[in-house]
Amino acid sequence: MLHRPESSGSGYRVPLSALFIGFLKVSLCGFGGGLVWARRVVVEQRQWMDEQEFAETLTLCQLMPGPNIVGITVCVGAKLRGAIGAVSAVAGFILPPWTIGLAIGSVVLQYAEIAVLRNVLGGLSASAAGLLIGTGLRLLAPHRSRRTALLFAGLAFAGMAFTRLPLTMVLLALAPISIAVAGIESARAR
Amino acid sequence: MNNSSASLVLAVHLAVLSSISFGGFPTVLPDVHNFAVAKGWVTDEEFANFFAVSQVMPGPNMILMMSFVGLKVGGIPGAVASALATFGPACAMYYLSYRLWDRFRDMPWQRIVRRGLAPLTIGLVIAGGYVMARSAAVGWQSVAITAAAVALMLGTRLHPLWILTAGGVLGGLGLL
Repeated sequence: MLHRPESSGSGYRVPLSALFIGFLKVSLCGFGGGLVWARRVVVEQRQWMDEQEFAETLTLCQLMPGPNIVGITVCVGAKLRGAIGAVSAVAGFILPPWTIGLAIGSVVLQYAEIAVLRNVLGGLSASAAGLLIGTGLRLLAPHRSRRTALLFAGLAFAGMAFTRLPLTMVLLALAPISIAVAGIESARAR
Repeated sequence: MNNSSASLVLAVHLAVLSSISFGGFPTVLPDVHNFAVAKGWVTDEEFANFFAVSQVMPGPNMILMMSFVGLKVGGIPGAVASALATFGPACAMYYLSYRLWDRFRDMPWQRIVRRGLAPLTIGLVIAGGYVMARSAAVGWQSVAITAAAVALMLGTRLHPLWILTAGGVLGGLGLL
């Protein structure tokens, strides 16, 4: 391989257009499972990060608010080209699919009253809701053995599903207690 | 309230949610749903339709979904404002935290915070799915589709797009 694009002092600068196109690809391929494609493009194809660094970046993104996959986009762009790199990567990730999606989607939604389309949309949203619930349950599986984790997951669920409380209030009430409990547990484990 | 001030109210609300959306934007769905329906901007059914359409599009689904709400409230400017509000604050925070990441690496408190936040995030994701299922439910058939999607998601390695397609086809055949 002629060059291996790295940010660290090799003098080679990844072009901004490569960031734009790389993340456009992640975005367009990422039906449902964007993370799979982000790793494929960033680690395997472009070698912008190695496995270890990618995993660490993902952890950082999971710790932060916002869509995790957008976070990876920002971090890779920032690593390679600083702020302007982050903007290019995010623009590639969001702009083209957003424009197309908004155009097609608003046409579809205009005809949402047509019986057939209405039925299709009904079926789609019922199954999409199921996928979201399923994703949550899958994420919960590794925490099965921690009773306090199940308790806090249940409280967060109930707080949003059965009350009309705003998310800020639910999070501000539960997060400090949940973090404190996790702290006590890890202190005991030591 | 006119359209542009309604768009602004929505954008500010989304920007706040974007800053606290630990675990991704699906966790804030119930909040946006309650907020927009209570304001009379969208109906339950419209909200469910936005969800359905944005889930079958490639790309950042939640940004698109919030843009549909913005489009309804304030036309194209509303859609753009909603999109920016949805990813802007989060992007800024990602950028800043990436810069600080080296300093935070391997700190024990970071693991504890993660352990504390993870269950809340998961509960919120499930709540997002539950609220959307409630919006979509028009009868036992749609509840059955949701339940089947959950089961397929948990029990098989089927690509999510197949599950969505199956739901859309069953709906299109008039089975709901």
